[in-house]
Amino acid sequence: MYDLFFQKLQEKVPLTDQEREQIKSYLTPKKLRKRQYLLQEGEVCKAIAFVEKGALREYSVENGSEHILQFAIEGWTISDLFSFLTGEQATYNIDALEDAELVLITRSAHEELLKAQPKYETYMRLLITGAYIALQRRLTSNISLPVEERYTSFTEMYPDIAQRVPQHMIASFMGVKPETLSRIRKKMADQK
Amino acid sequence: MQTIAIIGASGNMGAAISKSLSKGNYRLLLCAQGQDKVQAVVEEIKSGHPAADVKSIDCSLEASWEADIIVVAVPFAAEKEVAQKIQEVANQKIVISISNPLNDTYNGLVTAPDTSAAEELQKLLPNAKIVKAFNTTFAADFATPVIDGKQADAFIAGNDEDALQIASELVSTAGFNPIVAGDLSVSRTLENMQLLLIQLNMKYNYNWLAGWKILHQ
Repeated sequence: MYDLFFQKLQEKVPLTDQEREQIKSYLTPKKLRKRQYLLQEGEVCKAIAFVEKGALREYSVENGSEHILQFAIEGWTISDLFSFLTGEQATYNIDALEDAELVLITRSAHEELLKAQPKYETYMRLLITGAYIALQRRLTSNISLPVEERYTSFTEMYPDIAQRVPQHMIASFMGVKPETLSRIRKKMADQK
Repeated sequence: MQTIAIIGASGNMGAAISKSLSKGNYRLLLCAQGQDKVQAVVEEIKSGHPAADVKSIDCSLEASWEADIIVVAVPFAAEKEVAQKIQEVANQKIVISISNPLNDTYNGLVTAPDTSAAEELQKLLPNAKIVKAFNTTFAADFATPVIDGKQADAFIAGNDEDALQIASELVSTAGFNPIVAGDLSVSRTLENMQLLLIQLNMKYNYNWLAGWKILHQ
């Protein structure tokens, strides 16, 4: 239920059994079924979600079409951080692409843990800086790399995602038309 | 949309709460030992309200894992077993205690005066947000929350502000007037209030359709 969460945490910050139990007491285990929402635009994002099992996506809707900001598979974290930290309405939707098992950290649990456990604070700092760097890279690659290279780096970042997620969603994540992605994939397959 | 697991959904209170909450914008997971009986409750809800998001689920642990809010609608004597089953997945969740720890002859409570069924449940689920609610209303009141022209009050007690707020919304959805009575220790009073109401019901034949109403300016 919390195995992967603590495995990832302990990779960054080793914990004693007691510290692990203390952090665990603040966590909310939650199952989500395929197509269920964790967050809908206009609500307040109440929790950061860590994925123990399954796959989720975060997306916005502009002029009726979906734009995928992020996928989250095992070991990843997903939330609308702006809404979570400010209590303002979320601008993103988060839903499950597969049945999922999550570990949620609610706003109040987050605040209390930051005060109560310095190792949690360290982990969160590393997590959020990591997410910021990933975002910078995604932005850089989006504005500077050819689409083939972007697709390659995407499949490296999410190893088995292409088998788990429909192609039109990957196209949406990359900001290209599904036909474009299909052409690139064919071209890359021919080159192999 | 919040998901509510109702454990003991085939009982009188569990079924009444399930039917009432199906009127709100919630996803309901009904859970009880007799799957046939709980399925009958699901069918009844669906026949009256086809759009209701309600389903039966045979395992209290699975239902509670999926839920944001857990209603423990089992008798006080069965709470310990339920708590042991759901303990790990109830972490940080709102758990509603509805039970009244009556003795066999309905002339007293089995709990010591310095505790309550709700506080005992909190000890069993130390990381859950226990809220006392729906214990001062009879099962029949849910179908008729307005009695003799007056909307029955329903009292709520708990230690977590957000949880009290969410429980108040559930009580309103069910058609009662929610009154936050105080912290979880106020459950002692609330459970004794229902003891009195049960005794009065038997003495004066209210036909199990009676409730509390605070008169005030």
